[in-house]
Amino acid sequence: MSDTFLIAGAWISAGLTIFLFSFLYKDNPFFKVAEHLYLGAGMGWWAQVYLYGVLRPKVWAPLMNHDWMVLVPTFLGLSLITQFIPGISWISRYGFTFLMGYGAGLELPTKLATDFVNQIGGTIQPFVNVAGMSSFALFNAVVIAGGVICVLIYFFFSVEHKGAVKKASNVGIYFLMIYFGASFGNTVMARFSLLYGRFDTLYTFSASKYLYATQFILAGLAVYFIVHALMNRGKKEIEPAQ
Amino acid sequence: MIKNKSGLSLVLSFLAVTTVFAATSPRPSAQLPPVTRLTAADMPYDVGGTALLKWDVRPEDTPDVLYQIYVSSMESGGWIKADEFPADTRTGDGIELPFWAWNASVREHVVKVELNNFYGEAQTTGPVFRFKVTSVKDKKSYDSQVVSAGTVSNWFRLDRLNNLVMAILVFIVFFWAVSHAKRKGLFIRRIAGLDAIDEAIGRATEMGKPIYYLPGIGNMTMVSTIASTFILGEVSKKVAQYDSTIKVPHKDPVVMTVAKEVVKQAFLEAGRPDSYREDINQFVSYDQFSYAASVDGMISREKPAAIFYMGWFMAESLLLAEVGSTTGAIQIAGTDEEAQLPFFFTACDYTLIGEELYAAGAYLSKDPMLMSALKTQDFGKLVVMVSVALGGILASLGGLMHWDPFTRIIADLFKAY
Repeated sequence: MSDTFLIAGAWISAGLTIFLFSFLYKDNPFFKVAEHLYLGAGMGWWAQVYLYGVLRPKVWAPLMNHDWMVLVPTFLGLSLITQFIPGISWISRYGFTFLMGYGAGLELPTKLATDFVNQIGGTIQPFVNVAGMSSFALFNAVVIAGGVICVLIYFFFSVEHKGAVKKASNVGIYFLMIYFGASFGNTVMARFSLLYGRFDTLYTFSASKYLYATQFILAGLAVYFIVHALMNRGKKEIEPAQ
Repeated sequence: MIKNKSGLSLVLSFLAVTTVFAATSPRPSAQLPPVTRLTAADMPYDVGGTALLKWDVRPEDTPDVLYQIYVSSMESGGWIKADEFPADTRTGDGIELPFWAWNASVREHVVKVELNNFYGEAQTTGPVFRFKVTSVKDKKSYDSQVVSAGTVSNWFRLDRLNNLVMAILVFIVFFWAVSHAKRKGLFIRRIAGLDAIDEAIGRATEMGKPIYYLPGIGNMTMVSTIASTFILGEVSKKVAQYDSTIKVPHKDPVVMTVAKEVVKQAFLEAGRPDSYREDINQFVSYDQFSYAASVDGMISREKPAAIFYMGWFMAESLLLAEVGSTTGAIQIAGTDEEAQLPFFFTACDYTLIGEELYAAGAYLSKDPMLMSALKTQDFGKLVVMVSVALGGILASLGGLMHWDPFTRIIADLFKAY
C-alpha cells in the first residue's frame, strides 16, 4: 500500500513539474491543469493558515477566555468584508482607515531610523577612525560616501539634470548598475539552485522504483505536442477575443 | 675576631635563607574589599525589563578580579548568576546611549541586567528585583550589599531625540511645500519611463488589446503599493479617455479593494463612469507563485498590448516580465525592491528605479499633495547628502586630531538607536 502511495506521489510530483515546465514551449492544457491546481492549492493553503494560525488562536481562543478586547480588531477586520455588500460598504472605510493609519505610523519612525539616520551614520562611521585606517580602507570609505551622494543626486527630482548635476548623476547610475549587476548574478545563482532541485526530483523519479515516471510523462507530453502540431498544421492561431 | 666573623656570617646566612623562603612560600592573599555604593535603577528610555547597576571603579579592579552579578525575584535567596566579567571592564562608556541622554563616565562600572533572559517577559516589568555584586579573587568571593529596583516601560525615548527632531523638520518642510505647491506649483524633472505610459496606452487602443496593470504582491501599508495605486489612478484615467481596456489582477484582497475605488474614481474623473466594470480588478490568489502562474497564463492567452508592473515584487518579477516580453507587449516596470530591478531591466522596455516609482504618481497627476511629498523626499535626500559630506569631513578632522568627545558627538548625532 505504501509503495502505491509512493509511486502515485512520484507521478504527481514529476507530472506537475513537467506540466509547469511545458509552458516554456507554449501554453497547453497540461499547463492549465497544473496552473489551476496550483491556484486552488494555494488558496486552500492560505485559508487553513488563516483559520488555524489567526482566527482560532487570536480570535476564538481569547473570546473563549472572555477577553472581550479582541472584539475591537475583529470588528475592524470584519468591516473589510462589508465591501461585498453595497448597502453597508461604507463601514469598510473604518477598517481601511485604521489599516492605513497604523501602517503609516508604524513605517514613519522605522523608515526614518533605518533609511535616513542610520544611512548617514553608517556612511560617516569609518571616518571616525581615519587616523588608524589603511589607505585602502580610507579609499573604500571615500568611494562609499561619494557613491551615496552621487546616487542620491540621480534620485533628486527638484533640479534639471544638466551640467555638473548630470555628471554626478551619471556617476550615480554607474554605482547603481554595478550593484544591480552583482544582485542579478547573486539571484540567478540562487534560482539555478532551485532549478537543480527540480531536476534532481525528476532524476529521482526516473528510476524503475517509481515506474519511470519522468520518462513516461515527458514522452506523453512530446507525443501530445507532435500530434497537436500535425492536427493544426496550416491553421492560423486564433487571436483572443477583444 | 674569627668567632665574631663566623657569627656574623651565620646571621647573614639565616637572613638570606629566610628572605628566599619568604619570597617563594605562598603568601596569604590580600583581602579584597566588597563593592560599596552599589545602586540599582531602571534602564532609561527602554521598553522595560532591563535594570542598570552602578558602582565606583576601584584601584583593586585588576584583570585577575572578577565581578559576578546576581539577581533574585524573591525576598530571600533564589539568586541567579546574571553576568560575570573581569573587573577592569564594563564602565559607563560601554552603554550605547547618545551624549544628550547619558553621561558616559569611565569612573564607574555600569552593567545592564536583562531580566527577560532569566524570568518571563511579562514578569520583568513592574515587580521589584534584588541585586548583588560579588567580587572574586583567588577563588574567594566578597558580596556587596543587596540593592533592589524595578523596571518600567518608558513613554519617551530621549535617545531618539535626533530622530524626532528630523521628523519635525520633515513635517515642517512638507507643510511648507504643500502651501507653496498650492500657490505657485512645484517643479519636477522629466522622468523618462513615465513618458512611455501614453505611448503604451495609445498602442493598446490602436491594437484593440487589453492593458494589464500589476500592482505587485505588497500589502496596502507598503510605500511602493501606495505609490502604485496613485499610478493606477492616472493610467486608468487615460485608459478611460482612450476607451481602452484595463485588467488589474491582484494578490492582496485589501489592495484590490483600494484599487477598485481608485479605478472607479479615475473613470468618473475621465467622464466615462459607464465604461467602468467591476471585473477590471480581479482577485487571483494570495499565494505568491500560484498568483504568478495564473497571471502568466492570463498574459500568454490574452496577449495584452501593454503591461505595467508597479509596486512591490519579489521572485515572481522575472516569471511575469519574461512571459510578458514573449507576448510582445510594451512593458513598463517600477519597484523599490532593488533585488528585482535587474530582472525588470532585462525584460521590460522602461523601468522606474526605486524613488522614481514614488515620484511617478506626483509627476503624472501634478497633485499638490503628492508634489509636496516628493519635495519633502528631495529635502530628505539633500539633508543626507549634506550630512554625509559635512559629517565625513568633521569626523575625519576629529579622528585625525584625536578629539574623541567631538567625534563621539558627530557619531551620536547620526545614530538611530
